[in-house]
Parts: sequence; structure tokens; C-alpha cells
Amino acid sequence: MKRRTFWSTAACWALGLSGLCLGPAVSAQTPAVDPVAVQKLQRMSQFLDSLQRFSVETQSTLEDLHESGHRVDVDVTANVTVARPNRLRAMRTGGVMDQRLYYDGKTLTLFNPAEKVFATEAAPPTVEKTIDFARETIGILLPAADLLYRNAFPLLSQDLKLAVVVGKAVIGGVRCDHLLFSRPGADFQVWIAEGPKPWPHKYTVTDTSSPARLSISTLLSHWKVLPAVDDALFRFVPPKGAQQIRFLSVEPARPMPGK
Amino acid sequence: MNKTEYGVAAMVLAATLSMGGYVPEAHALRGRGAAFVVGAAAGSASADAANANAAASQQQAAAAQQQAATAQQQAEAEKQKAIAAQQQAEAEKQKAIAAQQQAAQAQQAAAAGQPLPAGTVVDKLPPGCTPTPVGGKNYQYCGGNFYEPVYEGSTLKYVTTTPK
Repeated sequence: MKRRTFWSTAACWALGLSGLCLGPAVSAQTPAVDPVAVQKLQRMSQFLDSLQRFSVETQSTLEDLHESGHRVDVDVTANVTVARPNRLRAMRTGGVMDQRLYYDGKTLTLFNPAEKVFATEAAPPTVEKTIDFARETIGILLPAADLLYRNAFPLLSQDLKLAVVVGKAVIGGVRCDHLLFSRPGADFQVWIAEGPKPWPHKYTVTDTSSPARLSISTLLSHWKVLPAVDDALFRFVPPKGAQQIRFLSVEPARPMPGK
Repeated sequence: MNKTEYGVAAMVLAATLSMGGYVPEAHALRGRGAAFVVGAAAGSASADAANANAAASQQQAAAAQQQAATAQQQAEAEKQKAIAAQQQAEAEKQKAIAAQQQAAQAQQAAAAGQPLPAGTVVDKLPPGCTPTPVGGKNYQYCGGNFYEPVYEGSTLKYVTTTPK
């Protein structure tokens, strides 16, 4: 991409004028899919694939439309631990929400300690399939789940109509490459750490299929590679007096890129 | 501002707010209002004078009223336009409210102690529920309904049920 086009695109994004400015940028002679942006995405994906056990803290903002027509944000913080191929735990603690999700390779359990209730379902054999199952069958969205998939790259890079290196940004004190991708129905942005360990530090998905253009944005911090994880971490043992409840079957949640 | 000016200002305000809908003393209000509007550029003293003139002479007042009628019609047209826009906005709002009401209906009915059809999902338990174990399961009972907690997605909700 030519320098001038690049800067005008960056300026447009900074000013929030993407709708007005993206047109000319896309129609420039240079290809809309910048191979450098795609390579950076692939490098991040391969780096995450190489990890056997890791944990990360996520802070997600889910934009929603209130019945009144006003936008209302829902914020969710979680500490996620993954041990491949079939262990996952997400602790949503702090603030108003205290909820824990356990996946031990056989079952998926959601537990609300404050209300002392939990629900358990038989789950598929891998983290990836369980993420799909949680979203499609139960209606549970895991923060930045797209990045937790092993071999996420083919899914992330599917049907790309646009790939741009927007520039540099500092997220949570880490200098990152800011990338923008577009596919039919969704735009997504990833901020990837510079240097030998390309951790993703921010991930934003925007639903472009509706005029509201709502986003789910996740900050990822405190990435840790874990040498070993106690299996008990992923196993749910009901505390005394806890009541087992059920999941209502719900509509499948909004599909995200990566699926 | 002296007392008369306050009076005129209040009448202009009233006339502006109720133009078209205000029937009693319509002539006096509109006449004075128009006089005030016409004289507004010259300051409130001229409005005062116009007011005095109108009071002194019926004919003068009638003339002022004639003049005012044109201005008023213009204002009326503007106002109708504004009303149309407002009505449209109101319609949108009503639609949103209707949806909200529908969603809140179950909650209200539950709070009012009305029995609900089994399978009705509410976000919160109505006030005054009592834990009621039936057949080894814990329910909340209130207003003629048994509720059991359920997860809708990852959100804890309550659904009316018939304990077995």
C-alpha cells in the first residue's frame, strides 16, 4: 500500500470516518489484502499454536443496543487458563459477576458461587469443539475465543476482503502492530506485540451486517506460558449445598470470525 | 423588567406553547404576542408601547392582529412541521416502549402475584418468594408460581415450573 493511501486510511480511522474513507483506500491500485498484515496475523496464530499450556487475563466490552435504542456496554473480566488439547477454565471474577466455567475434557460446567448454583453438560473432546459447543448449543460466548482455537489462522484469514497494517499502538504498555481485517459481515482488528513473542493484546470484532455496527472488544494481558497445570484446576467439584440446575436451550449466539 | 413586561413575556410564552390550541382570550393573547414579536427587534419598550396601543384602541389592535396573522400562519406551518417530526419520533419511541412493556409484562404479572404459564422466564424473582423444596429439589414459591433457577446462556434466570 502506498504511503499516502496508508496515512489517509490511518487518519480516517483515527477520526472515526472509516465509512467515508475506506472506499478510496480499497480502490487504490495496491491490493486490498496487504500480505504483510496477513503474515503478521499468521505469525501470531502460529505462535499461539505452539503453546501447550497458558493463561491470560481478558477484559471484554460487549456493545449492546438497549430497548430504548441507546447503546449500552456490558463489561466482562475473565482469567482464562488453557491446557491443550482438552482443558479449559475461565474465571469471571471481580465486579458484579462471579462465575466460573470448567471444562475437564469430558464435561462443561458453569458455576455461580454467590447463588450456589451450577449446570453441567457433556462436552466434546477438544477445547476448540467445546468453544463451539458452548456458543452454539448453550449460548455462552468466551472472550476472544477465536484466538484460543488451535490453528486459528485458516479460519481468521478466510474470505478476507481487506487486510491492512493500520500502524503502531501501545496496548497495556506493550508496543503493538495494529491490524485491520474485513470479511463479509464482520471487521476485526488485532493488536499484536512487536518482537519475538507476538502475543495478541487487543482484539475487536465489529458486526458490519447491521447498521448498528456493534463490537465486542477484548483486552488481553498477563499472558503466561505455564510449565505444568494441576488437572484439578479444570475439574469442578460441587461445594456443599450447591444446587444443580439446567441450561435452557437458547438461540445460537452471533457467530464470530474464526468460525 | 417591570410588571407589564413580565405579563407580556408570560403571554408570549403561553401563546408560543399553545398556539392554535388556546381558545379563551385567544385574540388578546395573539394580538399582544404578535405585537411583542414585531416590536421585539426594537426592544421591550416598543413592545410595551404596542401593548398600550392595543389596549387603548380596538382598531389598532385589530390591525396589529391582521399583521400578526401572517406571521402566525408562518409560525404555525413551522410548528406543524416540527410536530410531524415529533410525532414520528414519538411513534418510534412508542414502538420501543411497547417492546419493553411486553418484556416487562411477565415480570410485572409475577410481581403482582398472578400465576404465569409454566415455562415463563423472568430475569429476577418477584419479591417475597420463599424457598420451597419439592421432591428433593429447591424451588422458590411466590404469587402462585414455582420458580427454578436456570442458565440462559451464561445468565442466571428463573423459569416458572410445575414441580413433580
